[in-house]
Amino acid sequence: MTSSNNTAQSVELTTTEKVAFSLKKRHRKERNFRWAGKLAVSFGFLLVVILLTDIFLKARPAFHQNWVTIEIDYRAEWLGVDSAEAVAQGEGNYRSVLRKSLYQMFPEVKNRRAKRELAKIVSTNAEFAIQDFLKENPENIGKSTQVRVRLDDDIDSYLKDEPELGSIGPRINERQAKWIQRLVEDGRVEKLWNTEFFSNGDSRDPELAGVKGALTGTLLTMLVTLILSFPLGVAAALYLEEFAPRNRWTDIIEVNINNLAAVPSIIFGLLGLAVIINMFGLPRSAPLVGGIVLTLMTLPTIIIASRASIKAVPPSIREAALGLGASKMQTAFGHVLPMAMPGILTGTIIGMAQALGETAPLLMIGMVAFIVDVPGGVTDAATVLPVQIYLWADSPERAFLAKTSAAILVLLSFLLVMNSCAALLRKKFEKN
Amino acid sequence: MIDLSSSESLVSDEIKIKETVGDIFADDAKMSMRNVNVFYDEKQAIKNVSLDLARNQVTALIGPSGCGKSTFLRCLNRMNDTIPICRVEGELKLEGDNIYAKNLDPVLLRARVGMVFQKPNPFPKSIYDNVAYGPKIHGLATNKAELDEIVVSSLQKAGLFNEVKDRLEAPGTGLSGGQQQRLCIARTIAVSPEVILMDEPASALDPIATAVIEELIDELKEKYTIAIVTHSMQQAARVSQTTAYFHMGQLVEMGKTDQIFTNPTHELTENYITGRFG
Repeated sequence: MTSSNNTAQSVELTTTEKVAFSLKKRHRKERNFRWAGKLAVSFGFLLVVILLTDIFLKARPAFHQNWVTIEIDYRAEWLGVDSAEAVAQGEGNYRSVLRKSLYQMFPEVKNRRAKRELAKIVSTNAEFAIQDFLKENPENIGKSTQVRVRLDDDIDSYLKDEPELGSIGPRINERQAKWIQRLVEDGRVEKLWNTEFFSNGDSRDPELAGVKGALTGTLLTMLVTLILSFPLGVAAALYLEEFAPRNRWTDIIEVNINNLAAVPSIIFGLLGLAVIINMFGLPRSAPLVGGIVLTLMTLPTIIIASRASIKAVPPSIREAALGLGASKMQTAFGHVLPMAMPGILTGTIIGMAQALGETAPLLMIGMVAFIVDVPGGVTDAATVLPVQIYLWADSPERAFLAKTSAAILVLLSFLLVMNSCAALLRKKFEKN
Repeated sequence: MIDLSSSESLVSDEIKIKETVGDIFADDAKMSMRNVNVFYDEKQAIKNVSLDLARNQVTALIGPSGCGKSTFLRCLNRMNDTIPICRVEGELKLEGDNIYAKNLDPVLLRARVGMVFQKPNPFPKSIYDNVAYGPKIHGLATNKAELDEIVVSSLQKAGLFNEVKDRLEAPGTGLSGGQQQRLCIARTIAVSPEVILMDEPASALDPIATAVIEELIDELKEKYTIAIVTHSMQQAARVSQTTAYFHMGQLVEMGKTDQIFTNPTHELTENYITGRFG
């Protein structure tokens, strides 16, 4: 060692000392980086937790609905009919029955304004509810019976705030507060699990609005997107990687696919409107058109991911198959594709997740319309979950606030289910 | 210290290769190649090589790295077709048929001329499926029993059957390196080719696995014509009957293995086999 030879120049360090000296600095750098990494991860995690908690808390009221049991008097003179046949045919003035029954429960209400307010404490849907009840139980004609109907959304939201009974609340005046107090104290109000949220389509009345329409629309749209984009994308990637000659044309195609992935999604919507609806005459607002437009958007993602995944398959596998006398086709489909499948599925799920959250292209093809019916097929008018969330978030009624968060939860669950399916499939392919 | 300049001179142009010395002709040639030139774009990888592969013999192709022996081997079953920039010229014949003829399907050729690669490359499938793949795609078996028969006999010929008979459904990639290579040989044999090309089949294996493979090659030559590229001169000496020495894309010398290793004619061959470079 140099230092032992000339001890006089002890300033000169041995290699070991130099390394040891620099080691400290290197370790410090690594420690700092680790800390920065931990900080970044926890920050991201914290944000997710805050977001999810907020959504959960806001969404909670949407999963319950307050109902009130009222004494309905199916008096023939109020109803205007007195036979079961007439009731079965849908005849009868149920609005009158409902109102007069309510006035009967609160005989002290005299003036017209108060009466109008009283009629408003039940949902607008209540008159249909009591009609349905009578249809099923026609023996009640002319009798007085107890029927459970929904409370109006303002009252519902007011009760979910758990106020001091009798106190005024948002959009609830003193008079209404007193009536509610009486109904609650009489044990006529009950909070039930809101299954209608999952079985109803959209509605102008928050207490009736559900996500089934949007959920079905999303499901149909995603199905169309998957059926179109997966085979097309994988076939294109496989052809470009395994069969196509390398020349200027394939270079141009590659550049264009990459550019396509960066096109703002609303452009695809415009294209869908101009070509698919106006030129080919497919129906507006339909999941079929939505699926086609989203396919255009998803294809580049799937193609790029699939090509990368196919490229990553070791060439030795191709050589092995070709060396045995397999044709190019047999090599590509029998060996390359199965080995590339996990990566292809990852790309597909990224593309599908993008498509799932997309609203902009759907605006242009009319999938933002207010659609009450649950779509029955890909050509029916429909909307999708993100659009439904946007529509509800835009509504003035207070109860829609909770519905919006609940719809977000449904969307997130949908995403989760979709991702889990892909993860399971991927695991299956990775096994062999 | 290593004197780089001296080793440099051994492979430099000082020693000229005018033409191949030794005997390139075989009495009973399975494959015969004449004036083969191979180009990668403008770069010439094989320069005017002619040689025969004798029937039921092992021919070893030796030479320093980058001398073109693997490139030459890959011409024999048109594996070079997969490289777009590669161009092959010359006359290459299998039993008198030109293998680069327009109307000849490389798929058919590769069924007749099998190949074993440097790195064991079993498919990520079961041992059974690995061996059965070739017969399946070529339709060599009409039913399951026949296929089973082919798989078992191929594994037996490759000397692997006793080791794997209890786990034919286990993945082929789970075997040891030597076993994987024998699986690849079994897979090649299953198609019943006429010629087997081996591209450094033992270079990724340990000495014991190598010995097993070499023994196997010796047995296989009874039924097949074999061409083997190898880096190991000892291996060439052990398994082959004929040896061809390649240098910078040219065939320098070819002849009986005994003669090449004991009494080489060309100075370059002598330098190589005595270990002065390579």
